Amino acid sequence: MEVVDIRPMLAPGVSFACAAMVFLFGRNTNWRRFWMLSAATIKMIVVLSMLPGSLRGVVYTFDLVDFTGGIGLGFRADALGMFFALVSSSLWVATTVYAIGYMRDDEKRVRFFGFFALCVSTTVGIAFAENLLTFFLFYEMLTICTYPLVIHYETPEALSAGRTYLTYTLIGGAFVLVGTVMVHDATGTLSLGHPGILDASISPGRLGVIFALLIAGFATKTALMPLHGWLPRAMVAPTPVSALLHAVAVVKAGAFGIVRTVYNVFGIELLDDLGFALPLAALAAVTIIVASVIAIFQEDLKRRLAYSTISQISYIVLAASMLTPFAATAAIVHFANQALAKITMFFVAGAIQRTTGKTNVHELAGIGHQMPWTMGAFTIAALSFIGIPLFAGFITKWYISLGALESGQWWFLLVMITSSLLNAAYFLPIVHLAFFKPARGDAVPVKEARPTLLIPTLVCAAWVLLLGTMSEVPGMPFSLAEAAVRFVFRM
Amino acid sequence: MIVMLWHNIDYVASVVLFSIGLYVVIAKENLIKKFLGLNIMETAVFAFIIALGMVEDGRPPIMTGDAQGPFASPLPQTLVLTGIVVAVSTTALALTLIIRIFRRFGTIEANELREME
Amino acid sequence: MYAWPHWLALVVMTPLAGAALTPIAALLDRRSPPWWALATMTFTSLAATMLVLRVFAEGPFSYLPGGWAAPYGVELRFDEFSAVVGVICLIGWMAILFSSRYTRSLPEFASDRSPYYYALLLLNLGGMIGFAVTGDLFNLFVFLEILSLSGYALVAVGGERIAEMAAFKYLLMGAVSSVLVLFAIGFLYGMTGTLNIADVTARLGALEGPTAPAAVALALLAVGFVTKAAIFPLHVWLPDAHAAAPSPVSAVLSGLVVKLGVIGMIRTYRIYYGAGLFDLTVLNHVLMWLGAISIVMGAFFAIFQEDVKLMLAYSTISNIGYIIMGLGLATTYGVIGASVHIFNHALIKATLFLAVGAIIYRTGYRTLSDLRGVGRAMPLTSVALSIGAISIVGIPPTAGFLCKWYITLGAFEANQPLFGFVLVFGALLIFVYYIRMVNAFYFREPIHAEVTEAREVPVSMLLPTLVLASLCLIMGVLGRIPLTFIEPGVVRLLAPLGG
Repeated sequence: MEVVDIRPMLAPGVSFACAAMVFLFGRNTNWRRFWMLSAATIKMIVVLSMLPGSLRGVVYTFDLVDFTGGIGLGFRADALGMFFALVSSSLWVATTVYAIGYMRDDEKRVRFFGFFALCVSTTVGIAFAENLLTFFLFYEMLTICTYPLVIHYETPEALSAGRTYLTYTLIGGAFVLVGTVMVHDATGTLSLGHPGILDASISPGRLGVIFALLIAGFATKTALMPLHGWLPRAMVAPTPVSALLHAVAVVKAGAFGIVRTVYNVFGIELLDDLGFALPLAALAAVTIIVASVIAIFQEDLKRRLAYSTISQISYIVLAASMLTPFAATAAIVHFANQALAKITMFFVAGAIQRTTGKTNVHELAGIGHQMPWTMGAFTIAALSFIGIPLFAGFITKWYISLGALESGQWWFLLVMITSSLLNAAYFLPIVHLAFFKPARGDAVPVKEARPTLLIPTLVCAAWVLLLGTMSEVPGMPFSLAEAAVRFVFRM
Repeated sequence: MIVMLWHNIDYVASVVLFSIGLYVVIAKENLIKKFLGLNIMETAVFAFIIALGMVEDGRPPIMTGDAQGPFASPLPQTLVLTGIVVAVSTTALALTLIIRIFRRFGTIEANELREME
Repeated sequence: MYAWPHWLALVVMTPLAGAALTPIAALLDRRSPPWWALATMTFTSLAATMLVLRVFAEGPFSYLPGGWAAPYGVELRFDEFSAVVGVICLIGWMAILFSSRYTRSLPEFASDRSPYYYALLLLNLGGMIGFAVTGDLFNLFVFLEILSLSGYALVAVGGERIAEMAAFKYLLMGAVSSVLVLFAIGFLYGMTGTLNIADVTARLGALEGPTAPAAVALALLAVGFVTKAAIFPLHVWLPDAHAAAPSPVSAVLSGLVVKLGVIGMIRTYRIYYGAGLFDLTVLNHVLMWLGAISIVMGAFFAIFQEDVKLMLAYSTISNIGYIIMGLGLATTYGVIGASVHIFNHALIKATLFLAVGAIIYRTGYRTLSDLRGVGRAMPLTSVALSIGAISIVGIPPTAGFLCKWYITLGAFEANQPLFGFVLVFGALLIFVYYIRMVNAFYFREPIHAEVTEAREVPVSMLLPTLVLASLCLIMGVLGRIPLTFIEPGVVRLLAPLGG
């Protein structure tokens, strides 16, 4: 059932207005915090208010402008979009609180928070985009809004990382745009509200070009190998930005784009007939393994996390390209699972850096005694990534494995197992170092990070546990993901 | 071929004149010479258009009491008159500019001006 | 009311007569020329509105001064493409209003010269209007010369160090291209014995004998108009001329004057498509390639400019590339996109030049590094500038978007996906240099006291900038209107191609 409702537009719109207020009145610290938090909260409330309807199967739509002949800007909150919007908007509140604590003494806070709040709005815009054009618009806005965040410190290193980031993502965006134009040329519509708008009447060669363009464009932001070069370099950004880039907004937007391409632009049947999905799945599998191997050798904690992100985000791509219902469920719930666990880890890394100044893995010996809560959260996230039952990551791996069996491609199982082992190989040493190795030098008393850093970390870690143990986690229900899958597979 | 060219000698002449003008515009460095080249081009085109209006044994198209045809076509002549007015204004403007360039830079050689920029 | 036939004569005659009378008005009152010019353009705008309404309601129509029937008398013809007259009036009006204050600050503008400035501006606008509505080849040439000559003179009045050099370069290339056009008109007259465009088309179609002269005429016309439109590699006159001119003049030159070259190209196409003498695929391919090269080269040069006005000038080359490529694609989508981009780019570029002019007026600086941080000092102007910037990149929902989308669709429609890529990557390059500008204006620390202390410009300069900027947004949201407006014209233009 479709209902015309302004809320899908209101969600990005309100936080857009709040972001404008941050720019205008951001010099006053209290006002800035007020507008920051209201941007994040209002948006979450608006998104949450649509959840009950969404669970009943209501799809909220709102057409803003219709230029002409199937080109326009519109919003549409379907189950898939709702899930992504829920994940990003609820994590945004946590990240905002964390960022306020983390950036407390920074000089360029106004610019930072202004663009930070803008990212909120654009990500939800991506989630609720009714058509590829709206999607593209917000997708590019996200690129632009994150650039000032990446170069925040304006060191030569940061500026060069920023340039790399822009080069990759803008060229990727151009690919998406060409693909979008070709879709419009082929079908006369750009709507994302159907389980596939392309059909077999278009020549396979043309479909192949469209697929390659869209996937290549989105894959740059997803950091799918070999297009991942920007991500580890972007680690020079402040930690909340890293959390934003890796867990919530940027790479997720890319992954979401791939999911939309597979499910809503091409559709399951067409892709199955064409057989384009298999190379994509293979690419994702290679990325999962290779990025994990590289991660083992990273000494810098944030860089290790970055490569782990590259590997983890490819789970979504892999699952989406298996084209089976179970795997699709895995792809969608992994948006939440990966986001929460990874954001926890980045929060931990930032908290350690702010509290003790340590950034290297080998410096972390004994830190579990100094910051027990923080490292406890890290352990939870690590176990989730490894895929231990009762943690969120297990759900993903379980469903991907089911999907692999369903599609009869057993080698995906091998990828899962190898990946789990590799995850263990680069995360468990950190946990081991932190808790079971004595600190070098004098024993340090317990000194946790300040509450604005610690509380968001713990909340996210708790959510990882919830996602692993309950099916109806408040705010990100499993049934919503299932509803999205039913729509995609026309069940 | 030769015969055909000979029969159209007026057109051939204007094309040759046009090319000479274009060559001068491109090849000469002195701004006034460049401009003279442009004037040559314009003249070539005027001559061409006038030639178009020629009629064998035609008389000037002036209506007098005992006017007897055939007349040369009057239209090209009026066109060229307008064209000449335009060319004169262009020349006036160009010369003004050249004077001002000379006052400012002390030279009107394009290569020297390029070095000064 | 719009059916009154004489509007078409008035729309041409008013600015020309106004131009002639401006010095006289100045004799009566020394400060009157801007207001006189403004009044003239107001009346012209009224006439233009009527004409646009009429063509929208009835389709193309003609006006025969003195009642002489078409092939013998002179014909004024107003079709969908002539609707560019509306934009000419709008931008001309805004530029004059902007100038009223701007020119007082220029040292070159001792008050006794200012009447001539307004007279030239009116002459230029009148020439453009005449060029857009004439149905007669020779008048096409005359109006081309009126608008070009006044354009050369307007470049020189700015008093920049290189202004006269730039003007001379512009004059030389402009005059050569005009002579080429005249030569071609001579050829066409020699072959058909008429100068009326519709008549030339019909008689060319019925021509017996060698078609080589027609091909030569086509080549001459194409080279001439492409030079006027500043397409690579014939663009060399443009950057200096547009950067050295006073900012309101730059707005007119960049927004409108180069477009008339494109209109000339459309008229040429009308004759040759209609005559159907030969296949124009070769010309179309040449234009597509030249357009593509212009897009890329213009954008590429723009990226490396420090001078803001030079940057905008190169961006014009890039955008004209879009239009010419759209024409060369010769598909309905492509040509519609190109034609609408004539209108929209005029709005956008005028916005940008007026905003930049306001900033230069207040700060006295014109390079990116000198102007750092100006966004905070002059917020309204900078907002207008940013709107212009996002429009020219073609980000929805601004004016630049739909036409570029249509041109890109046209590329795929014409089965030229390569050009689709060029279009998109051209937009990407354009994006990069406007990001540089926005970044410098908003996010860098100012290095000059003049910049931090700059105030907003007076209303007479702010108003035109803001109005044009909001039109960039409005034309984006209402983008459907110009598309549907121009469509019958494009369909008629392409009809001889068969589908």
